[in-house]
Amino acid sequence: MTPDARANTSRPARPSTLKRNLWIVGAAALFAWATLSVDVDLADLASLPSGLARMFYEMFLASGPDLSYLQNAVPQMITSIQMAWVGTIMGAVISLPLGFLGAKNVSSGLVANVMRQVLNGIRAFPELILAIAIFIPIAGLGPVAGTLAIGLHSAGTLGKLTAEAIEGIDAGPMEAARASGARGLQVQRWGVLPQVLPELIGFWLYRFEINIRAGAVLGVVGAGGIGFLLDQTIKFHRWPQAGTTILVVVVATILVDTISGGVRRRIIEGADVKVAPEAEISDPALAAR
Amino acid sequence: MSTATTAGRRPAKPRRSLAVPVGIGIFVVITLLSVSDQWGIGLDIGGIIEDLGNGRVILEQLLDPNWDFIPRTIQFSAQPPFVTGPLVETFQMAIVAAFIGCLVALPVAFFASRTTAPSRPTVVISRGILSVVRAIPDILYAIIFVAAVGIGPLPGIMALIFFNIGVVAKLLSETVDAVDEGPIEAADAGGGNRTQMVRWAVLPQVLPNYVAYSLYAFELNVRASTVLGLVGAGGIGFLLNVQRGFGAWSNISVIIIELFVIVFVIELISIRLRRRLV
Repeated sequence: MTPDARANTSRPARPSTLKRNLWIVGAAALFAWATLSVDVDLADLASLPSGLARMFYEMFLASGPDLSYLQNAVPQMITSIQMAWVGTIMGAVISLPLGFLGAKNVSSGLVANVMRQVLNGIRAFPELILAIAIFIPIAGLGPVAGTLAIGLHSAGTLGKLTAEAIEGIDAGPMEAARASGARGLQVQRWGVLPQVLPELIGFWLYRFEINIRAGAVLGVVGAGGIGFLLDQTIKFHRWPQAGTTILVVVVATILVDTISGGVRRRIIEGADVKVAPEAEISDPALAAR
Repeated sequence: MSTATTAGRRPAKPRRSLAVPVGIGIFVVITLLSVSDQWGIGLDIGGIIEDLGNGRVILEQLLDPNWDFIPRTIQFSAQPPFVTGPLVETFQMAIVAAFIGCLVALPVAFFASRTTAPSRPTVVISRGILSVVRAIPDILYAIIFVAAVGIGPLPGIMALIFFNIGVVAKLLSETVDAVDEGPIEAADAGGGNRTQMVRWAVLPQVLPNYVAYSLYAFELNVRASTVLGLVGAGGIGFLLNVQRGFGAWSNISVIIIELFVIVFVIELISIRLRRRLV
């Protein structure tokens, strides 16, 4: 191809990649800064694989996991699951009115904005911090404190999702309810709730799956459940017992995920609503774990 | 209105599914067991309301932040590295872990998606590994890595890396599952092998989502690193735990407020960027 021929082709000019490249350079610089300045000893990094391998060997291979420890670990895991269950219910119950108030189409603009900020505020505190700072002082050490921490944090996340779900509804049924004389709460009950309920139940089950993880670690700060055993067995190098405890957490979590995921699918397909799978992709906060 | 006339015209009500009452029954039983004293956590709402006052002393201190504590969390200087302190360490940990975790998650996601994996068993195995990776909570990773290499930011970074691999690989593999088949067929028809197909037909489709998930992972990391310090894995959480040991709740209040502001700002930026990307 001669230069002339090239000049005559009517190809559009390539879009500028300058902006994209600037972003890449910026990100790389950020990564370089963080990597170089973070206080990590290279000797520690080098000893990491062997340290992990030794720990894995002690936990699962040297004498096998200590299966007699199941009688300690399993009841504690059940407590963790119960904390997640009750905490999720608390969160769902609290989030429902908050979600309605936070949705611009069924609440007023000002109330919705204020409520959204309140929900953001609640969500900013992880369960562990809530447990340490608020609920252990109130309820004392134990699963009740952990449950309350899970409940409050879930109310924040579920409230936000509820508000977003309500903002996405069809206005028709609301109008129909109003036209037939419904007022106030009746419109919400018959015009709004049936439209969002399958989606909300999906959210609640998702949250339950996430809360299982929280329930499993809250014991680290004394807020009940199997986290206490995880912390103690590993801290005091009781490897066979630690191995058993970790196995219990992993197996129970996967089991609950599977059951809950099955129920979720059943509810969503049964209701013939294809919302949740898309929500899973568009809202990573939901599908994160 | 008599029932006879309406009954003739109205279509029959759909039969109520048995799943709903059974589901509600199971729900009630599990809930009652869970809150019971003997079989569950022993939840006593009345008692909690009575005990609300117990939190007063700490709450009063939390509501009275000790602003003089800020220099303990972040220090500025004219010479490099300009900013130091536990708060900065939290950032560094989050950045390093998000980069490495997301880099590892990219190939893992392609192995875990039916669209791009070389074989069916690869998908099953990759997904199995991923669900184990995701079943271990971030704090547990931190406890394990602290036991392996001692306290400091390194175990925190490692914990966050695993956490990020689990999150990003799962989200991305689902996105890959849902890509448009057209470009894949085109790549196949053009004689591309699997690697070339992934590079030219799939990657361009999922790249915006991938970047969005990576941003999201960073956001999660900043949130998570606040609690990783509780088990000795570096960052601001470590300082928080020390102050908790002293019962210095006015200092903790400052840390919580700082975290609140940072998480809030990062979320704002991240949501805006993500919205532009996807």
